[in-house]
Amino acid sequence: MAQADADDVVTLSEVRKTYDLGGVVEALAGVSLSLPRGSYTAVMGPSGSGKSTLLNLVGGLDTATEGTVTVGGRDLSAATEGERAAIRGSRVGFVFQTFNLMPRLTAVENVAMPLVFDGWGRTERRERARDLLADVGLGERLDHRPTELSGGQRQRVAIARALAPDPELILADEPTGNVDTETGERIMSLLDDLHAAGNTVLLVTHERRIAAHAERIVHVRDGAIERIEELSD
Amino acid sequence: MDPRESFTIAARSIRSHKLRSTLTVIGVVIGIASVVTFATFGASVQAEVVGGIADSGANNVYVLGQPADEEGFQQALQPVFTEYDLDRLAEIDGVEAVVPRGTIPINAVTHRGDTVALQQATATTPEAVTDETLVAGRSFERGANETVLNRAAAEATFEENVTVGDEITVDRADETWTLTVVGIVNGTAGELPVGNFGPQPGLYVPADPFYESVVESPNANARLRAYPQATVISDPASTLAVTDAVETYLQERSDARQLAPDGVELVARTSGDFAEQISDVIDQITRFVTGIAVIALVVGAIGIANIMLVSVTERTREIGIMKAVGARNRDVMELFLLEATLLGAGGALLGLPLGLAVAWGATRYAEVGFAFAPVWSALAVLVGVLVGVAAGLYPAWRAARVDPIDALRYE
Repeated sequence: MAQADADDVVTLSEVRKTYDLGGVVEALAGVSLSLPRGSYTAVMGPSGSGKSTLLNLVGGLDTATEGTVTVGGRDLSAATEGERAAIRGSRVGFVFQTFNLMPRLTAVENVAMPLVFDGWGRTERRERARDLLADVGLGERLDHRPTELSGGQRQRVAIARALAPDPELILADEPTGNVDTETGERIMSLLDDLHAAGNTVLLVTHERRIAAHAERIVHVRDGAIERIEELSD
Repeated sequence: MDPRESFTIAARSIRSHKLRSTLTVIGVVIGIASVVTFATFGASVQAEVVGGIADSGANNVYVLGQPADEEGFQQALQPVFTEYDLDRLAEIDGVEAVVPRGTIPINAVTHRGDTVALQQATATTPEAVTDETLVAGRSFERGANETVLNRAAAEATFEENVTVGDEITVDRADETWTLTVVGIVNGTAGELPVGNFGPQPGLYVPADPFYESVVESPNANARLRAYPQATVISDPASTLAVTDAVETYLQERSDARQLAPDGVELVARTSGDFAEQISDVIDQITRFVTGIAVIALVVGAIGIANIMLVSVTERTREIGIMKAVGARNRDVMELFLLEATLLGAGGALLGLPLGLAVAWGATRYAEVGFAFAPVWSALAVLVGVLVGVAAGLYPAWRAARVDPIDALRYE
């Protein structure tokens, strides 16, 4: 049973999530989990195990049916839509399998987008986006659009975007799912670097090889935690 | 969110679908341009007509009977103004002349063997023909077999132009008059400022001896000539006082008061009154036609709504991305609303000059002066913006309601 701890970035307590799709489908059946600050956790499980639902709840894209989800000390179940949007924009950074970049915006504009909603000034936004793109090795491709970038480059833009508001938590949903193995390794080493720099990372994957980058693996099946596996480097 | 950024994003999504955005804007342009065209053209015609009335005979007081239950001007055809009344009116201080006007039914007029059908001649007094209105010759004299023609009758009716000194023959049902043309006029004094838009041929004859409408005058106890209309020409400085005095006389003790049938009101009107009435009529017509043009604007608005709904569906995934990186429902709504508003405003800004240009062309064609209607123009732009907002509301609301999880999965 996870206890609320001041130094936990995320705390899930007895979280249930059901969907009404003609019949009631239970995606999460009472999950409790906490992510200490600076930790690197992988959630692993087959498709339909509830791992994406878990990620959506932690990221504030969805709300739990029962139980509480706390991110950075804020109870998301008590937050309004606007507050959850603010949390998505400033406290968590998403990295998706399909990159989810805005097709008509350049790399810099994509990275700067969370800062638009976070109320940053124009110049500061661009500067921050440029620095982050340089950090992920795309300093030369600032004004390219997603279609002019390779899959690996797109995912690095997405990672830079996730980092833009300096979030407390990085959520990566199958980040290597749409790139080749070699590119995937480079993306994972980028996430490793972010963790080494002190970021809290929550990774969702179905691949053991990818999950092995984390400090611990949370195995989920049928909406419940099966076991937690601690990994040593 | 930063309004400049909202604007950039909205403008970018409009630009990224150039053809579609252009066609949508054209819809609004047509709507706004139609409204502006009709409103401006109406205002131009109004200015022209009203200006023309105000210019002509500002010191004329028109005396006539009109149905009491009608707002508009109706030429009353009952001959109720007797010569007794005319004499009393002429005695009012500040009155320079009283010009009665009556019609005489005729069949045809012959000049040098060329016979032309003409339905009526106008019976009046020599004062109707003044130096200002005369083109050639002089006025007819009371009791003489003389006539005055207007230019339309003299120059555009018979094979040969009629000149002063010519003789014409007027055929009536039971008699024939031979008259000497003594003058050619361009309009006559005291003419009603309405109903003279076309150059109708006019034949003026002295009421004495030709006018035959006679009634028993209750005041004079005699049979006197009576006219359906008369014009009191006043000293320009005292038109208002004369109008009041004429009105008072008519209401109190005139023959007309006793002769007028029930439901006919005797009134004294100045050209300003006519200008106002005609202005009202043109105003109503303009509003009606402009109202029809508004239909085009509504169609334009539907075009915006339609394209915005398509846009929301197409950009479901983008909406999801924006929400995932912190966009509130309000931000999303704002963006789509702004986009629709830009389409509407763009249509208005292009439609306004187009509408003004077409209206200008129409005024040239109709040979009236161009009158810019600033209120209508400002209203057109405002309406364009409002049309954008109204058309964008529902699509924007739909966009704001997009579930980010579904949207991110959406291909």
